[in-house]
Amino acid sequence: MKTLHEVLKDWEAVIGLEVHTELTTLNTKMFCGCKLEFGAAPNTHTCPVCLGLPGSLPVPNKAAIESIVLAGLATNCEIEKESMFYRKNYTYPDISSNFQITQGPVAFCMRGWMDLEVDGVAAKERVDLAEAREQGSYTTRIGITRIHMEEDAGKLNHVGSTDGRIAGATHSLVDYNRCSTPLIELVTEPDFRTPEEARLFMQKLRQIYLSLGISDCSMEEGSLRCDGNISLRRRGESRLGTKTELKNMNSFKNLHDGLVYEICRQAEVLEEGGIIYQETRHWDPTARHTIMMRLKETADDYRYFPEPNLTPFVLSDAFIEGIRTRLPELPDEKAKRFGTDFELSAYDVRHLVEHRSTSNFFEACIEAAGAGAGGAGAGTGDVGNVASAKPLAKPLANLIINDVAGYLNANDGIDLADTALTPARAVELVRLLVNETISSKQAKEVFAAILEEDKDPQVIVNERGMEQVSDTGAIEAIVEAVLAQNPDKVAQYRDGKTGLMGFFVGQCMKAMGGQGNPKIINELLAKKLG
Amino acid sequence: MTNFAAWSVRAIQDGLAAKDFSAKEIAASSLENIAQTDKEIHAFLEVSENLAYEQAEKIDAAISEGKFAECGFLAGVPLAFKDNMNQVGTKTTCSSKMLANYQSAYSATCVEKALGAGAIPLGKLNMDEFAFGSSTETSFFGPTKNPWDTSRVPGGSSGGSAAAVASAQACVTLGSDTGGSIRQPASFCGVVGLKPSYGVVSRYGVVGFGSSLDQVGPLTKTVEDAALALNAISGFDARDCMSKDIQTDFTKNLDAGVSGMKIGIVPAFMEAPGLEREMKAKVLEAASNLEKLGATLVEIDLPHAQAAMSAYYVLGPCEAFSNLARFDAIRYGYCDPNHGDLGSQYEASRGKGFGMETCRRIMLGSYLLSAGVYDTYYYPAQQVRTLITSDYAQAFEKVSCILAPVTPTTAFRFGAISDPMQMYLSDMFTVSVNIAGNGALSLPVGLGADSNLPTGVQLISAQFKDENMLQVAAALESCYDVLRIAPPFAEGKVGA
Amino acid sequence: MTQPLSEKDVRAIAQYVRIGLPEEEIGQLTIDLNNIIESLEPITAYNLNGVEPTYHPIDGLSNVMREDTEGTSFTQEEALANAAKHQDGSFVVPAILGGGDAS
Repeated sequence: MKTLHEVLKDWEAVIGLEVHTELTTLNTKMFCGCKLEFGAAPNTHTCPVCLGLPGSLPVPNKAAIESIVLAGLATNCEIEKESMFYRKNYTYPDISSNFQITQGPVAFCMRGWMDLEVDGVAAKERVDLAEAREQGSYTTRIGITRIHMEEDAGKLNHVGSTDGRIAGATHSLVDYNRCSTPLIELVTEPDFRTPEEARLFMQKLRQIYLSLGISDCSMEEGSLRCDGNISLRRRGESRLGTKTELKNMNSFKNLHDGLVYEICRQAEVLEEGGIIYQETRHWDPTARHTIMMRLKETADDYRYFPEPNLTPFVLSDAFIEGIRTRLPELPDEKAKRFGTDFELSAYDVRHLVEHRSTSNFFEACIEAAGAGAGGAGAGTGDVGNVASAKPLAKPLANLIINDVAGYLNANDGIDLADTALTPARAVELVRLLVNETISSKQAKEVFAAILEEDKDPQVIVNERGMEQVSDTGAIEAIVEAVLAQNPDKVAQYRDGKTGLMGFFVGQCMKAMGGQGNPKIINELLAKKLG
Repeated sequence: MTNFAAWSVRAIQDGLAAKDFSAKEIAASSLENIAQTDKEIHAFLEVSENLAYEQAEKIDAAISEGKFAECGFLAGVPLAFKDNMNQVGTKTTCSSKMLANYQSAYSATCVEKALGAGAIPLGKLNMDEFAFGSSTETSFFGPTKNPWDTSRVPGGSSGGSAAAVASAQACVTLGSDTGGSIRQPASFCGVVGLKPSYGVVSRYGVVGFGSSLDQVGPLTKTVEDAALALNAISGFDARDCMSKDIQTDFTKNLDAGVSGMKIGIVPAFMEAPGLEREMKAKVLEAASNLEKLGATLVEIDLPHAQAAMSAYYVLGPCEAFSNLARFDAIRYGYCDPNHGDLGSQYEASRGKGFGMETCRRIMLGSYLLSAGVYDTYYYPAQQVRTLITSDYAQAFEKVSCILAPVTPTTAFRFGAISDPMQMYLSDMFTVSVNIAGNGALSLPVGLGADSNLPTGVQLISAQFKDENMLQVAAALESCYDVLRIAPPFAEGKVGA
Repeated sequence: MTQPLSEKDVRAIAQYVRIGLPEEEIGQLTIDLNNIIESLEPITAYNLNGVEPTYHPIDGLSNVMREDTEGTSFTQEEALANAAKHQDGSFVVPAILGGGDAS
């Protein structure tokens, strides 16, 4: 099979996403008062409504309606003043009433959009864009068709087959705890042209939802799920090709890899003169391919009709504006502010705001740095903090993007607040680095020690005798000694073998127990050898 | 032993207040009477003896503590529920094999309210399967007999509810009405059947048929009993989004008379093909009685009412198809044993668990909602609903109440109607009310001249103006000296 | 107006609604359903252009919601009480052949 890069030279990929998000931060389900809780014993969070018992009636959760309006406002959607719930009828054991309550042609949120800034390797995939080719980066606007409110299904566990698959199972166990969990479904326009754009969109959407506090957005636990619709057409062709629907992309990596595979698979089929069938395919991350689940010969007929047990919704301007006041600073706005206030690069701000925990931590550090600097003392406003903390912003950003994010990734799911790294300690660590008390290599050691030993950076530096030697006289003596011990290498260096500089620096560092200031060592060596 | 179920609500309460008898005696007499009469009538699918005595003990305890006044509108009233109403401690079968063993996991709001008002629960009443029918002949457990002539049907779908009142098995019963299911059997059995405006009584816990049409109401011997029972079961319920917060005392106009009131008559209804001569005569007699009482008759036009039947047979089955999809043998309901795969378990369980009429309605609804067909029937039916609603709204600008036939005929014999289309015609005067969401009631007006069987007339009120039709009904009721209990069962007295 | 249903159509509808019917019922059922559908014609007799549908019979009732507060749930035993088969706290269904749509 060709690589994605090769395929995209001849073919244009047209991708749309359907993103389901469970509103996990609510207390109760969409249409009943059962508690929302992941991982509880089966069928312990059920009642007449979510078990679909005869005679029960749904009553919508106000907080869920507020959440979807919030999501719509945060993604530039128009909020529809009048909408209704519909029944989507289909028979499957995970949906207790055998119909799902969802919305009809008019959803609460319609016609939104999100801008994506793409750079680096990802930009290279857009061979069609001059901007991407010439500047190595581009901005693209993804249309959001709608976001509608619905309810999740229960869970099936298949028994008697390998790996819990449905195929070959002797029977299945049904747990309705998740049934009727509030779910919002966002549908995009088919505006993505590369898997990377789709991944960036999902990452950014996740940041937005997290900053709104409407979901824990866990792809692993299934509270954030995404299906893709993919079709190919020859470059220059305007007619859309037949699309396949891709499921089970339960991580950003799987989303990316699944789309890449499916694009390449379709290209291979088409180039061999084959036909793409409209079908649902499943991404198998282990086998690294997609497999056909279901052929859609005809459009599914869900016999939608307005849910007679729920009233229509008529949202007033006052209601919508009331929700708007609850909008927090969104990642895009935050990134813009970080860039302006701290003169950070686009790369830095994007990574800082990628996760709420890291952006919040950055802000806490800035505040700590401002307070620690003295300034006007307590009551200093943000402006004072920003000004005094500004010199530390870049090294703080480096620390957070590299070390902190790396630590969080390595310790899956850990909450920064539960670690020994406080904003004050992070600021102290960065100060030790900036004033050259320790080297950047030592800073990494101190960072690890803070987390392991729960001590302040200065204490660790003192205990380990790590303070960097920046005394020029002392360093000069060592440099002279090293050069004297290696006359042949000095001669080679002077003959042009400048690569030996590293050797001399290493020898000096070794002699100083690693505590020599590398900048001064380099300067002195250059002077003496030059 | 006196059968207190033959008494009126007020007579029972007066007697209890005066300590002439105890609630336990009421329960005992009612249960004994049911035991004697139900072999013949078959109104009950389940008799809840323990629940009846428990409740009676509570009432008696309250009386002995001098707290009778706090017991509620229906204290000590022997009452029974249609078997599509969930009541903890009983099965809720909907007269279907599908739910033959289904134990109610919770109680319907109307059940809780009736019990909260002090009613003594006697048991659960027979009906057409899932309320699909007009005769109780579709009940999996066999039909209920009309107490006036046991070779005839009691009507349906709340046939058990009507027969239980007409045979003095219960003082008050609750029924549900989607297209006439309270009013038609009330007329067939000669009792009062009240379908309140949509939204007056909570539907929570009542097994849904046509969710935008269903409404719960009482069947009683007298208009006053119906109003008292409605006071007890009505009111806002946070568990039913369609429940309306109205705080009306439905007894308030019962003594007001009709002098000066304008009552509507629909000429098109009077000329409807199929309306039997004796039924038409009863409506005309009622009209003349109302005039004598000082009311003015006004001819009104409901130009779209003739499409009501069609709209009803679109909307009802569509909603029913979806509402009954939940009966899949997984969480509850008849599960045909020994199927290796889910598909065949579904098909066998539903195929054997549902009766033929239920299958017909489900299939019809599924077809009418399918792609392409939806726009031909379902959408126009909802548009027709707009027109019918508007017809009624315009009519109620001119009149406070409409007088109409309830049913085209009196009770027919078992097996007499085998064509479903013919059966559906018995709803011809009642369905438009459900489509528009108005209140309506069936008032017994004596035996038909030709059939010598009970007849009724229908009084219809504007939505949430149910007190108007109760006012007219109470006045009209005074013109008739008719038996409310079928003669073979009428040993008791209707009350002081 | 629609074409009358054939027996094949009726079998397909029965399959869609998951009702297994004996073959001998299909003929009469087809006749009955066609008779009923024919009787629905009056609703196609009006000029309905511009008439808004009424999906809910209480005019003006909108936005009925509840607060996000916890209510009472069943115990596991209560939830399973009416089930034909259960195992390890879950409802049991036999092998599922063919997909569903759990979106």
